[in-house]
Amino acid sequence: MHKSWMKRQSRLGYLFIGPNMIGVLLFFIIPAVYSFYLMFTDYKFMSPETNFVGLDNIRRMLNDDLFGVALRNTFVFLLAVPVSMGLAFIVAVALNKSVYWQKTLRALYFMPYITSGVAIAFVWMLLFQPTSGPINGFLRGIGITNPPGWLSTTEWSMYAIDIIWIWFMLGYNMIIYLAALQEIPEELVEAARIDGARPWQTIRQVIWPLVSPTTFLLLITGLIMTIKNFGIIQAITQGGPGNSTTVLSLFIYQNAFRYYEMGYAAAISWALFAIIMVFTVLQWLGQKRWVHY
Amino acid sequence: MRIKKGLTGLIVGALMLGLLAGCVGKNETNGGDNGGGAAGGKVKLTMWGAVPPENGPQEVVDTWNAEHPDIQVEYVRFVNDDDGNLKLDTALSTGQNVDLYVNYTLTNLDKRIKGGTALDLGEFTDYNIDEKMGEDAASWKVDGKYYGMPTKKNAAFFALNMKALDQAGLSVPKAWTWDEAREYALKLKAAGFKYGLVQHTASYVDPLDSVLVKNGYVKADGSSNLDDPLVTKWLETLNGMMKEDATTPPLGEQLTSKMPVENMFLGGESAMINIGEWLIRTSNNMTEFPRDWKIAFAPVPRLAAQEADMVKSGGLGDFIAINSKSKNKEAAWEFLKWYADGGMMPMAAGGRLPSSNAVDQQTAIDHLLGDYADSYDKESLEFVLYGDETPTFVRSIAQEVVDLRAQEYEKFFLGNQTAEVTVQNMVKRHNDWLKQNQ
Repeated sequence: MHKSWMKRQSRLGYLFIGPNMIGVLLFFIIPAVYSFYLMFTDYKFMSPETNFVGLDNIRRMLNDDLFGVALRNTFVFLLAVPVSMGLAFIVAVALNKSVYWQKTLRALYFMPYITSGVAIAFVWMLLFQPTSGPINGFLRGIGITNPPGWLSTTEWSMYAIDIIWIWFMLGYNMIIYLAALQEIPEELVEAARIDGARPWQTIRQVIWPLVSPTTFLLLITGLIMTIKNFGIIQAITQGGPGNSTTVLSLFIYQNAFRYYEMGYAAAISWALFAIIMVFTVLQWLGQKRWVHY
Repeated sequence: MRIKKGLTGLIVGALMLGLLAGCVGKNETNGGDNGGGAAGGKVKLTMWGAVPPENGPQEVVDTWNAEHPDIQVEYVRFVNDDDGNLKLDTALSTGQNVDLYVNYTLTNLDKRIKGGTALDLGEFTDYNIDEKMGEDAASWKVDGKYYGMPTKKNAAFFALNMKALDQAGLSVPKAWTWDEAREYALKLKAAGFKYGLVQHTASYVDPLDSVLVKNGYVKADGSSNLDDPLVTKWLETLNGMMKEDATTPPLGEQLTSKMPVENMFLGGESAMINIGEWLIRTSNNMTEFPRDWKIAFAPVPRLAAQEADMVKSGGLGDFIAINSKSKNKEAAWEFLKWYADGGMMPMAAGGRLPSSNAVDQQTAIDHLLGDYADSYDKESLEFVLYGDETPTFVRSIAQEVVDLRAQEYEKFFLGNQTAEVTVQNMVKRHNDWLKQNQ
């Protein structure tokens, strides 16, 4: 009797997760398997026939200069993640204390995160305008005679995107850090103070290690989120000028939905997946050294 | 994050649709229209186009619908960019109700023909496209067949500030080279304009395509012809205008500010603009862009020395195809003929001049200029629209080639590489592409 009850229970359980599982199957598992298959074909959207081409797409990818450019740009893009987290940690520590305008400031920092991407793109393009934009106006004001051309040059465009992305992620990282900081028992900080630790020492040796699980979480999700993102770049530069801001995810998008080269795009997608996988595994292995639960 | 989610959703959705298309595609009868059909003998057609309904299409279909209670047409707008075309292609290949759709480039049309979604109009014998539309129509033929009908006259031209020309003692050219245009730009700048010439980044490459259509994109041996000497000539002319003469905005400046070039021309910041018939839509808006001078028109300059070597961008546009899976092909055909032979007239005000010779030129121009005919130099306008006998082309190269060229010349104009390296890179990448797509 006990057994049949268990059986009934588990059947009921499957019934409950059923709808969700169908969604996962339809929208995640089948497309993933299908794209794996596409990687080995020359499937072009709208084109009538599809041939099996073996490893051609992968070979093409490895010989494609643009793939290398996109890979490099992706890594430059990823620099934004640790920088944004560092800034967010500092801001969070500052806003965790009772300071004036605490709530307003928190809201302000979080604002970019809930703002429409297209609006962000336009505002930043204006700010970065090389001759008449306020950023270069300020730089000239403090004595830099030859400020960078930002989005209008191939050398600086990727860093300009980094700055926008840092600013964009800051609010989110800050909120998560704030939540972590509030979890820290007051006694620990007080004990450090009684032991004569300076504020900087307290932050470095007490607070930072205590929020390390949060840092780990933000690092992993931030890297994954960034490596997959292309919306902001598509809105601002479409990968240009030249191809200086073409990151891997944008490269996939262009191949798939601009050129309809689905087979090739699938191959690059799986390369991207492999990179994310390696990153994540490395971080999991590395966390033992610095994450304290 | 928000946009990212939206775009991811789009990709997943699109992949799913692609998947479904893959499954359904074989069974063609599954497609066709869902909205149309036999209900009460009434036919409902859906037409997809990229012009906002309020700029003419709504008036067009309203007029038709009032006259033809048995065939009702609904207009659906898609935006003519990557996302919009993807939406249309997805609708076409998954058999949503699309009966008629407008193609704006041969590249897109080509995909749709290969996908089996464009009807060969050869099966209708009561309308001769070549006769009605003239010689230019032929550039839309694919494998010698019409998979649709070009309906609009494209016009690429230089619009000029006539007052400035008169003051500088310059005449309105009827044929000219880029060297001459560069001189004009210098003189006009000296007369007090910030720039001599502005242009949309999309029009940048027209002179290149002129050259390559004439001399071939590919050499006889099958390799890239992007190292034609005139390509270098183009690069250096434009670069000189940006950097030495400062008569045209530097590319970096133009890209980052999304420079509103029409406004600059109409606002008197620039004396010339390289543009097309859609300028009239803005220049007729006197409340926002008031001006006390006339606009004159000149053909786009040529790179080649000889006038006989010129082929200009233009030809016909708005190529309307009938979905081969439509259940109401006959009705769609009736509508299409009516549309081309004057039904589209309400769209002329937005710059879409009908190409059919069933339409009177004068009426079309009257519609185009509306109440402000006096503010244009009519003689030169008629010349660039109807008088100029220079053969025209419609750009037909693949998007990949358009993009790879742009990526390389952008690097040149931004000063990252020399003209020589730019040409070498273009050729190398074009050859790679040719090999990939042979």
